[in-house]
Amino acid sequence: MTDLFRLTDVEKSYTRGKEKISIFDKLTMRIEEGDFVAIMGPSGSGKTTLLNLLGGTDKANKGEIEFDGKRIDNLSEGQLTAWRAANVGFIFQFYNLMPILTAAQNVELPLLLTKLSPKKRRDNVATALKIVGLEDRAKHRPREMSGGQQQRIAIARAIVSDPKLLLCDEPTGDLDRTTADEILGTLQVLNRDLGKTIIMVTHDAQAAKYAKRTLHLDKGHFVESELAA
Amino acid sequence: MASLLNQIGAVTALNVRSIPQRAWMSIASIVAVALTIAVLLFFLALAQGLTRTVEGSGSDDVAMVIRSGSNAELNSVVSRDQLTILSSGPGVMQRASRPLASGELLVIVDGLKRSTNTKANMPFRGIGAEGLALRRGVTITQGRMFSPGSNEIVVGAGLIREFAGFGFGETVRIRGSDWKIVGVFEAPGTVFESELWADVAVTQSLFNRPNAYQTMRVQLASPEAVAPFKTWADADPRLQGLEILSERAYYARQASQSNQFIVIAWVLGILMAIGALAGAVNTMYSSVATRSAEIATLRIIGFSGWAAFFGTMVEALALSMMGGILGILIAFVAFNGRTTSTLGSGFTQLVFKFDLSPPIVITAIVMAMVIGFVGGFFPGIRAARQRPQLELAAQ
Amino acid sequence: MNDRALMWKNLWRKPVRTILLVVSIMIAFLIFSGIISFNIAISTFNTLPTRMVTLSKVNFTQTLPIAHYERIAAMEGVAAATHMNWFGGYFQDQQSGFLPVFAVDPETYFQVYSEDLQIPAEQREAFFKDRASMLVAEPVAERYGWRIGQRIPLQSNIFTNRNSGNSTWEFTLAGTIPTPQGSSQSGSVLIHYDYYNETVTFGRDRIGWVPFLTKSADLNDQVAAAIDGRFLNSQDETSTQDEETFNKSFTAQLGNIALVVSLVVGAAFIAILLIVGTTMALAVRERTKEIGVMKTLGFSSERVLRMVLGESMLLSFLGAVLGCGAAAGLLSLASGGGGPPIYFAPIVLVYAAIIALLLGLVTGLGPALAAYRLSIIDALGRR
Repeated sequence: MTDLFRLTDVEKSYTRGKEKISIFDKLTMRIEEGDFVAIMGPSGSGKTTLLNLLGGTDKANKGEIEFDGKRIDNLSEGQLTAWRAANVGFIFQFYNLMPILTAAQNVELPLLLTKLSPKKRRDNVATALKIVGLEDRAKHRPREMSGGQQQRIAIARAIVSDPKLLLCDEPTGDLDRTTADEILGTLQVLNRDLGKTIIMVTHDAQAAKYAKRTLHLDKGHFVESELAA
Repeated sequence: MASLLNQIGAVTALNVRSIPQRAWMSIASIVAVALTIAVLLFFLALAQGLTRTVEGSGSDDVAMVIRSGSNAELNSVVSRDQLTILSSGPGVMQRASRPLASGELLVIVDGLKRSTNTKANMPFRGIGAEGLALRRGVTITQGRMFSPGSNEIVVGAGLIREFAGFGFGETVRIRGSDWKIVGVFEAPGTVFESELWADVAVTQSLFNRPNAYQTMRVQLASPEAVAPFKTWADADPRLQGLEILSERAYYARQASQSNQFIVIAWVLGILMAIGALAGAVNTMYSSVATRSAEIATLRIIGFSGWAAFFGTMVEALALSMMGGILGILIAFVAFNGRTTSTLGSGFTQLVFKFDLSPPIVITAIVMAMVIGFVGGFFPGIRAARQRPQLELAAQ
Repeated sequence: MNDRALMWKNLWRKPVRTILLVVSIMIAFLIFSGIISFNIAISTFNTLPTRMVTLSKVNFTQTLPIAHYERIAAMEGVAAATHMNWFGGYFQDQQSGFLPVFAVDPETYFQVYSEDLQIPAEQREAFFKDRASMLVAEPVAERYGWRIGQRIPLQSNIFTNRNSGNSTWEFTLAGTIPTPQGSSQSGSVLIHYDYYNETVTFGRDRIGWVPFLTKSADLNDQVAAAIDGRFLNSQDETSTQDEETFNKSFTAQLGNIALVVSLVVGAAFIAILLIVGTTMALAVRERTKEIGVMKTLGFSSERVLRMVLGESMLLSFLGAVLGCGAAAGLLSLASGGGGPPIYFAPIVLVYAAIIALLLGLVTGLGPALAAYRLSIIDALGRR
């Protein structure tokens, strides 16, 4: 298996007022293509910051981040945006669907960033909705759907442009157990059958069990060293 | 009742405290209301100034004689013979054993409007020897009255302010003769202040209108003397085709011109008010939206929907009142008391002042209140319907 | 779906709010296009650079002797001259039936105003031949339902008819003059000077003013100076101006209309600028999180900026189109009644488009820049 992500000596800190808060100090890790990694850890351990760095929505102060053999840490804001559009699907805790758009239109949103023909777009949207099992909800608006359905629409949106990587930020944090299990099952299928690499931040140990492996983050370091490279 | 008042007070206080969160929107709707009110006041004050000036020009005890059906002095005709007959009518006052009457001839000459530097129609009125005595409230403030039989002109102070070409001491050439401006008169708040006066006989001869009069003014003993004078004149076949009415009634009829400004005032005022209303409603909806959690909490505690409604209403009225007051201030500073002129009903320039009288100011305040009331009503209903939801309050 | 559809959907997210904004923008443009059309209608006339007019120096209401006309017509540099008299005409009612009736010399009048008098030859000939006939602007004939050949009694509030002893004259309608906007003949009624002159009881052999054409516009100043110099120090001194100057000074008599127009239009636009600007800012603020999500999905900052700006443009143009449409509709309704028609001036559309563009830019730029600068981390509160 090839490495999808390779992080070397990544440093990240914030200044809050006059205080400098260091999140990562020389973080080094790798994630293989096709992996399903759960990242756990207490509040303030750096889980979300790590997700931001991996997703290109935040930049490291130092160190190298390689994706699929190419460095992304030195990309410009605009280049990162294009990179995200092509390679990353995001799934958020609160779904973050556009309330004014129907389910199908929400799923179609990332395809506005491609040059696909309208017909091809419709096909892709239909396929994505089928994968998450919500073909019959295409015309519904987010507020007409349950939390679980909204999250499945969000998953369809994340996979519609066929990215290699799915980043999930507490995807089941707002759902009940049964629904959460369905969502996690769907993610597992995406990983197993479609080969998506999934990195999922979660508080929930039950959720982490669906992953192939779990990384425990504490104060910017991985606790189980054998999992870091 | 007292408890509802307390509740309204509490909700209003909350509203007021949250205003800074939407300071810009609040300011925008205040300014929109202010501009609406200022535009409304501009035309109302214009109309009012025009009406007051025209209506204020006539006396109750002066009879005005014009040709029946003449809507302007320019196309009225009164003959010399008729003038003589009318001077001997019942109730005509005398001075030094001569009747207090004045046959008059109005011609139009060009002046130069100072503000636009374009030619404008000046009323040049030939008046009889008693013309000045017939007009109370007219005083010569500079120089002297013209001497009968001479090419001399006295000019109204309003005309001098707005138009060039007839300054005190100047000589102007009209129809091949030189005329000297020998005096300036003031007649505050009347149309006369925008006129030029000269001897009627000289005017007739120099404008080649021998023995032609257009109107006649007659000083009667009292306002009650107008009716008998008219009855007497109507009975005389030599006075057929003449209309007699009090000078005040004559000018009241001329004042209808300002109606067009009142129409413009309300058309523009109402249109702009609808625009400003959009701002007020948006601001108030946003006010209700930002406070939905607070309102929900208050409703859980036991505040009534009415309190939420009135709290919103009070805020809307406060905003629109601030706008109204700002608009009135703008009007007072920008144009109240300013002199302007337009083509009057006599086809000559009429100088008058913008007049923001108390009724107009009250009209403006009512207009602002209406905007506030309508602007607060529907958002108020939304606030009143805010259910006491725990989950909202918990946020 | 595409970006435009997305903008449209965003615009209608809160329909009540958007409708209110559209209405307020519409009203500003309604006021704007109505007032500007009105101003253009009262201040724009078809003019010829070579057409001039000689009036009494005292004022244009003072008459001139007919001899002046003959002298002017014979001046060097004058191509054609005619003369006009104000008749003070009205039909039935002095107030509501007011008509600008002019006593003219038909053949020379048709030379000087040929471009605005394109009427069928038989109507022209009928007018030339019958001294007691008249030509009437089309809208006037329509308003009163007059037919060609009909005899119409007109009255004068100045003159008396020697034949009848009262102020009524009867004229046969010889033809109608089409008067598109700006036509010098708008609202006019033309009668024969000779007939008028023979039947009036006073004011004979006097004329109101003398319109004429010069051989070239370059000669205008020279001709004007020659005419006014010719009558200098006479009883009837003259003032000769080109047509446009005369028209402008006439309109200026009503007051400083341009200033009032700009103040009112300015007030209307400042008010909506503030309302729309602050509401757009609020609308985009409310959408902070969604903009963050879009950026996360890979929408570039530039694209987000374009979409917000596009939304404010859409709003602005929607209001502008509705406002201009409403103004055009109201003006055409209003022109059905009495008074000279005020046409919706097409040039207004150009101004309106420019203003709509500026309004959209100014109200959208702040929110669009805020959206452009918005960082994903701040927007989503993920840290």
